[in-house]
Amino acid sequence: MRELTFAEVDRDGALLEAVAGVAGTTRAELLRCAALGSAAALAALAAPEVAQGSPRGRERDGEILNYGLAFEYMQAGFYTEAESLGTIGRMPREQRRWARTLGAHERAHVRIIKEVLGEKAVKRPFFDYRGVTENPENFTRTAVALEDLTVALLGGQAPRVADRNLRAAFFSLLTVEARHAAWARRIVGFRPVGAPLDEPKSLAAVDRVVRSTRFLVSRPRTSGRKDPRFTG
Amino acid sequence: MSEPSDRRRRRKFLAALTVLLAAVGLAVAAGVYVPSSSNGGEAEAAAAPDPSRGALPVVPDPVEPAFVPPKPKALAGVRHVSRFSPVRRAVTARAEPDLASRAVAVLAARTPEGTRNIVPVLGRERAPDGSLWLRVRLPVLPNNTVGWVPRDALGGYGAVRTRLVVDLQRLTATLYRSGRPILAADVGVGRAEWPTPRGEFYIRNRLTKYANPFYGPIAFGTSARSDVLTDWPAGGFVGIHGTNRPDLLPGRVSHGCIRLRNEDILRLARLMRVGTPVTIR
Repeated sequence: MRELTFAEVDRDGALLEAVAGVAGTTRAELLRCAALGSAAALAALAAPEVAQGSPRGRERDGEILNYGLAFEYMQAGFYTEAESLGTIGRMPREQRRWARTLGAHERAHVRIIKEVLGEKAVKRPFFDYRGVTENPENFTRTAVALEDLTVALLGGQAPRVADRNLRAAFFSLLTVEARHAAWARRIVGFRPVGAPLDEPKSLAAVDRVVRSTRFLVSRPRTSGRKDPRFTG
Repeated sequence: MSEPSDRRRRRKFLAALTVLLAAVGLAVAAGVYVPSSSNGGEAEAAAAPDPSRGALPVVPDPVEPAFVPPKPKALAGVRHVSRFSPVRRAVTARAEPDLASRAVAVLAARTPEGTRNIVPVLGRERAPDGSLWLRVRLPVLPNNTVGWVPRDALGGYGAVRTRLVVDLQRLTATLYRSGRPILAADVGVGRAEWPTPRGEFYIRNRLTKYANPFYGPIAFGTSARSDVLTDWPAGGFVGIHGTNRPDLLPGRVSHGCIRLRNEDILRLARLMRVGTPVTIR
């Protein structure tokens, strides 16, 4: 199967905008790197530290929050779709409790981050979960991957947050997501803890994982400007 | 007798000397310890609390988080949620969830207006070979046709909580959200010779900024098709749109389309998303 480029996966640019902001570069520069498929180039855009209270610090914090919001959208949508399609309802009781709890948590995370960002919050992207929300086994295994990815993402970004109160909130999210990951791992029979240390992932590494899921897709274009030819 | 008494005296002297040396040794040891303790300073004393006294180390309080998520909520009822999905590639819709089943219609990836074709998802079923099929409403004649398509021919799910009901008797359109009416407007519908079709349909696109004032500022394309104007350009689809003749509303004035006053279509456009189911009764 042909591998999609980042640009094809993220046509709306929601994730790209967030990555561009965190990496401290322009969307065009990042798109150029992504189009080249160069993970090393993405990694080279690693952001320098910024001081708490500085204008750039506040801006960076907003960008990291938006980056987190894009992932929370993906997670919340994942659990919500599986529940509304009845997939979770068909799972054994303990798994149902796990999936519904995590879905409710992820929706709460989306609500609070959107509220904090206000008008600066990125729009909810369009997701195509490729059928994994319609099969209990695929759903639970993918949930493990998503929770582990979120832990790695927050572990990488939380120390970069300039505002210490916001950083504290990020670490609180991180510990909850780590518990989610452990619970998800237990549900599918994996060891709750893999290594003795969780390795934070770089943006480039997260990008590769997101690209491999192909969950983030272009919103279907259902608006046009052609002259109507309806019966009138 | 003098020798034993001398021995006793010597023993007493040695015992007293031993006690004295032991006392001096203890005193010296205590003398060494005390300065060492006092030289440690306050920081050391604070960092190494005496567990017997239950003292806590002096460290800063935790940092107050900038935000606390609200109480998690269970998913609200999905009774009023309608799902739709974009057509990823042209596909033959079939009467049953089986490739060998009778073909009902060919579903195009694009509409005549060039937008992405979407279909409402009415049901799901897994075929004996394990593949997933979706039951969808089709934008074809006869109206109200449904068929089955393989899941992989469609994209991700979109969801809406709105529903539009057009009453051909009362000449009204009512928009509901989560089962509650949120907008009502007078409409113009098809004349007796070009009736607006009845049944279950959906909004599949939205056109704006076109040049033709006949359709007002916004026109929604629906999946409904005229049963009589079958040779109409682009297939005779019924639209929901504004008008340049508001004086004719409400009434039976159109070729089958549903006309609203421009202010009403603008209000509707703010509240109704593509994918919304439409009942014409």
